Amino acid sequence: MNEQRFILDNIMSLKRHLLKRFDVYQITADRQGEKSWQVSEADEVLPLFGPKNLPLVSLKRFFFAENEAIYSFNGNTFSPIKPKIEPRAIFGVQACDLTAISYQDTFFKDDPYYQARRQQTLLVGIDCNSPCEKGFCHEMNAGPHVDSAHADLILSQFSDLQNTAVSSTETAKGAWLLIAATEKGRDSLQGLVLQNAPENWPELRQQLKQQVVAKFADFSYIKSSTEIINKGQVPAKLWEELSVRCLACSGCTNLCPTCSCYSSYEQYDSESNQTTTRRIWDSCQFEGFQREASNHNPSQLAAQRTERFWFHKFSNAYLPEFGRYGCVGCGRCEQTCAGSIGVHSVMKRINQVCCN
Amino acid sequence: MNKTTSIVNSICPFCGVGCGIGLTTQHNNVIAVQPLRNHPISQGQLCAKGWNTTFGINPADRVTHPLIKRDGVFHKASWDEALNFVATKLKYYISQYGSHAVGVVSSARATNEDNYAAQKFARAVLKTNNIDHCARICHSPSVAGLKQTLGSGAMTNSVEDVDHADVILVIGADPTENHAILGGRIMRAKLNGAKLIVIDPRVTRLAQVADLHLQINIGSNIALLNGLVNIILQNRWHDADFLLSRCEGLESLEAQVANYPLKDVAKMTGVSEKALIAAAKLYSHAKAAFLAYGMGITQFISGTNNVIAVSNLALVCGQIGRPGTGINPLRGQNNVQGACDMGCLPNVYPDYQSATDTGVIEKFSKAWQTSVATKPGLTSLGMSNQARKGNFHGQLIFGEDPVVTDPDQNKVAAGIRALDLLVVVELSMTETAKLADVVLPAANFAEKEGTFTNCERRVQLVRQAILPPFEAKADWQILAALADKMGMAEQMCWRDSEQIFDEMAALTHSFSGMNYALLDKNYGLQWPCNADHPFGSHCLHQDSFPIGKARLIPVEQTLTAEKPDSQYPFWLTTHRLHYHYGCGSMTRQSPVLERETPDGLLFMHPQDAHDLGLKDHQPVGVKSRRGYLETRIIFSEQVAPGLVSMPYHFKETPSNQLTNDAMDLTTEMPELKACAVSIEALNAERQPEAFTQRYIHYE
Amino acid sequence: MLQLTPRSIRIVDSYEDGQNAKHVTFEPIDFIHEQPVRIGQFFMLSVPGAGLAPFTYTSLPDSKGRFVALIRKVGKLTKAIYALKQGAVLGYNGPYGQGWPIEMLANKEVLIVAGGCGIAPLAATIDHLIEIGRAGNTTLIYGAKDRPSQVLSRERRNWQNKILVHDTFMQTNDADKSGTPTQHIENVLAESDRHPQIVLTCGPEAMMRSVAITCHRLLISSDKIWLSLEKRMRCGIGLCGHCYLANELVCKQGPTYRYDKLLELENKTTVFHKHTGLYQYC
Repeated sequence: MNEQRFILDNIMSLKRHLLKRFDVYQITADRQGEKSWQVSEADEVLPLFGPKNLPLVSLKRFFFAENEAIYSFNGNTFSPIKPKIEPRAIFGVQACDLTAISYQDTFFKDDPYYQARRQQTLLVGIDCNSPCEKGFCHEMNAGPHVDSAHADLILSQFSDLQNTAVSSTETAKGAWLLIAATEKGRDSLQGLVLQNAPENWPELRQQLKQQVVAKFADFSYIKSSTEIINKGQVPAKLWEELSVRCLACSGCTNLCPTCSCYSSYEQYDSESNQTTTRRIWDSCQFEGFQREASNHNPSQLAAQRTERFWFHKFSNAYLPEFGRYGCVGCGRCEQTCAGSIGVHSVMKRINQVCCN
Repeated sequence: MNKTTSIVNSICPFCGVGCGIGLTTQHNNVIAVQPLRNHPISQGQLCAKGWNTTFGINPADRVTHPLIKRDGVFHKASWDEALNFVATKLKYYISQYGSHAVGVVSSARATNEDNYAAQKFARAVLKTNNIDHCARICHSPSVAGLKQTLGSGAMTNSVEDVDHADVILVIGADPTENHAILGGRIMRAKLNGAKLIVIDPRVTRLAQVADLHLQINIGSNIALLNGLVNIILQNRWHDADFLLSRCEGLESLEAQVANYPLKDVAKMTGVSEKALIAAAKLYSHAKAAFLAYGMGITQFISGTNNVIAVSNLALVCGQIGRPGTGINPLRGQNNVQGACDMGCLPNVYPDYQSATDTGVIEKFSKAWQTSVATKPGLTSLGMSNQARKGNFHGQLIFGEDPVVTDPDQNKVAAGIRALDLLVVVELSMTETAKLADVVLPAANFAEKEGTFTNCERRVQLVRQAILPPFEAKADWQILAALADKMGMAEQMCWRDSEQIFDEMAALTHSFSGMNYALLDKNYGLQWPCNADHPFGSHCLHQDSFPIGKARLIPVEQTLTAEKPDSQYPFWLTTHRLHYHYGCGSMTRQSPVLERETPDGLLFMHPQDAHDLGLKDHQPVGVKSRRGYLETRIIFSEQVAPGLVSMPYHFKETPSNQLTNDAMDLTTEMPELKACAVSIEALNAERQPEAFTQRYIHYE
Repeated sequence: MLQLTPRSIRIVDSYEDGQNAKHVTFEPIDFIHEQPVRIGQFFMLSVPGAGLAPFTYTSLPDSKGRFVALIRKVGKLTKAIYALKQGAVLGYNGPYGQGWPIEMLANKEVLIVAGGCGIAPLAATIDHLIEIGRAGNTTLIYGAKDRPSQVLSRERRNWQNKILVHDTFMQTNDADKSGTPTQHIENVLAESDRHPQIVLTCGPEAMMRSVAITCHRLLISSDKIWLSLEKRMRCGIGLCGHCYLANELVCKQGPTYRYDKLLELENKTTVFHKHTGLYQYC
């Protein structure tokens, strides 16, 4: 479908409109300043968005739940337990997380539980108008602006636009460009009176993006280390050095918006005599992840497991399947790694060791 | 994630680091946890235990109703019934034998409010100082030792000081596994340029990344520390100004450490002379040196002296009282600091006010409007010993599993069997609870309000996320209801936990500046927090010590109570695994963490295994003078030849069947870190037999 | 959409078959296989109360849908299956994965090297080769610890006079049979004057690798050598991630691999020299 572009004077009018048909989730801050995705029934609460408000826990759990019942057994038959999800709109998603969702959409395209949640969800993306603290989305082709293929609706705010040669800059300032990028997005706008955006607004958005991109710090080490990883030039010793610092907490894989490994366990309820099988997030960083019943373990060494994570995120071998790397440059692993082997630390170290 | 989901920020219930943790709840269940980015200690991080908290919160096997045992079988009872039963019995034992025949063991897992209520119940309702908790077996020597040398037993500095140190010295602690987020911070500081020295008989993870690892012979801590002090004094590397103005006792210390010449120390400790000198030089020359230690210092018969030796080293170098320095015991449990602070110790009231000081007794008697205990109290081991002698009859145990976690399980179990009344307040049916006469359902940390105090003295709010299941209640509510049944309703009548906190704050100096509103606003406050320190105290002893000048006290190297011999040729030490906590009652509920348990639990150097003709994963029997158990060996270069180690989390393989209960005389701290064992190969085809309680012999 | 919920099967027959191994026949309850099972594929078995794990078809579903698996007691799950009686209801998902390159075997000299229970995924292949009249071109070298630990006794009896079978034992006084199956490859082939054009092997990973190396040395090119890998799995359908091998998932792209492709995959990540691993369990 062709994109449709509108002018939106007030972001709250869109929220109010969506509230009629959806549960609206948005980023909220609590008293300690922690950001998280929460349902917002009140139509006067402005969603938080943009680079300063990226929640530490991504939207992954909205589709691939950290712990969910998948089927039950009554002694004779197994019955699926389908998630029951009301239509929901996720309002104000950053480009990096939208890229991750698109990646997960590919991975989980035939997973009934993921898709049941995904299909009930309208994604409303908002362009980031400055880099965030640990993010390097631009380096990973995952931001700062929302890719049209990754959201149903996209919002771009022109208030941050610097002086440009484009004549209509003045009129654009303060307004929002609203793009309906999918059928679902266009349907969601039905009943909302909107004016078409001027012809040159995509051009303005492009300029805005250039301005944001120029503000990113130098992340060239990411690119260069990605090449080193793909050439297999990281010495075994360096993986070993890095792996000693891995405490196997599973923080990186839990917070990584594209990690998808899971395990399962059973819960028996004596009253109903039902055994429910649940799946839970698992982590390739655990020693037992691949260990077999015989104790044979193909990834017995911590170094193998450390390399595994970075291979999964940065290897060219995944490009045919996903069309991109597994890393979207959100920087959450750097924040959560107790062993200081998050993405920046590791890629800098690889670059430092292998380029000198 | 759905509409009914909400997130409550609380404090991780595992170790003493006190990380912030966001509890995601749905339909009165905690369905997920998340790290908190703005939390001053955890900064967006959690360890594997923290990430798996949900399984500990919602275990399937919760105790949900009061249970009374009749003819060996537990029967559901109402609260009224159960509390009347307990109250009647307690009153009877007190009238028959006196107050010293009953007592309370509180919990380092419970909140400050629960602990305050427990000691108040013991002192004001039971009229006894028989009140203790498990700090006995982790850091009682820290409290005793540092009380003598500095006047205060807590961590002198803060977790954040790791970032401000240029040298970090870790002795007898494995923080990357046991205090993971602090351990990680030490690794980060090292990456940022700090020098790291590790003193440990095992090659811990930190030892691997350290600049210097002194792999000492087990039990030679004092020799090593005295040796370092001797090197420092001889080379004039000490902080003369600090010693002059802030310390006393230098002369006698100097004379005594002279008996620890370099050569002898190298021989006693197994550390090269070069490494000893290098460590002494690094530590003494540092602008700011952060010293942390753990149970590798305290769990010896010389535990208190070990702590004094640590203190001597820091004082001689003046590495205390400034940012980035300090003597920092790493507390094992989420609220072991708080349980001590609240006076769940036989000798002190809240804020370490002496239980034998008549002024203190009068103060509390007046505040609580009743007479209080006057006689000295018993420790938990003391209560157990007296029970076996027939002098102790009724005990309340809150959230602890001494049958698994205490040394020499056979003796502990015998003590428990000898009781006429054992009341266990627990989340699930632990091994100790199974032996109880009455089991009362407790609320866990996610089900109640209150505060935990982490190792750096930070009092942090624990916020209720869900309702307790069925009949479960907070410890303080149970104690208040029991006090009512014993005719002391007024003394223990609280509206909520905040009211308890306020009562406690008003009776103490260190907490007098705290209240829930301030704690909420500041992500907690570090005591002392009072009129002098309205924003709490980041670093203690900046200008003076509570006892004025710090004391340098000479201590002698002491042999461990047991040493390998021909019959029991190996040293056995105990440690912990990153994935598990305590007796495993919470972490082992997680299918992922449970999977991470290795199939063998005896870590042995491949050289020793080779000498004995053992293969990796070979089933073995391990025997000490006290007990026997079976497991598999795991090859590990973490231990030196001659030393084997075993984690203590697993009830199928309880290392405390083997450990020695010989104890530090000052504190009754058992020597859990060193004993002698023999190892015999079992048939490779055979599964090691899981230990079961039926093996426990009762005296 | 993929189906994560198992279908019910029941145990209709089982008997002890070698040391700590059972020969178990399953029957579908109220379902038929929509797609034929290919030789060398596997299925996920859910044992309520004990979890789930992959197993291979020792014989493919017959006209009633009945199929056989060999269950060796190694972990918690297999112990639970071992204890089950006739009539017990279990969960079943499958067939999954890629099978052996059966079409390629039709006109070739085939060498099959199996170790221990590794013979289970190869049994149906041997049956198939006999059925299509290739028995005379099929050689089986089957290694076991000792004679009592040999499995699939009934199947092997059936093969005995049809294909060339050479048993080997780790513990035996018979010098002719002593050692690993790999050690016998060269002799068996020389004595029988056979020149295999394709090799299928399954067994402990170290054994399969040594078989592949030996066969390669005997001038069988590595694209004619096939292995079947065993991995921990939680789903069988490419979702749970446990069975990763570089960028592939063994449950989808495997479990059978051509040796050259396997080496290519393994070369994508670093080769570490194994030591005892200080931090193996920390």
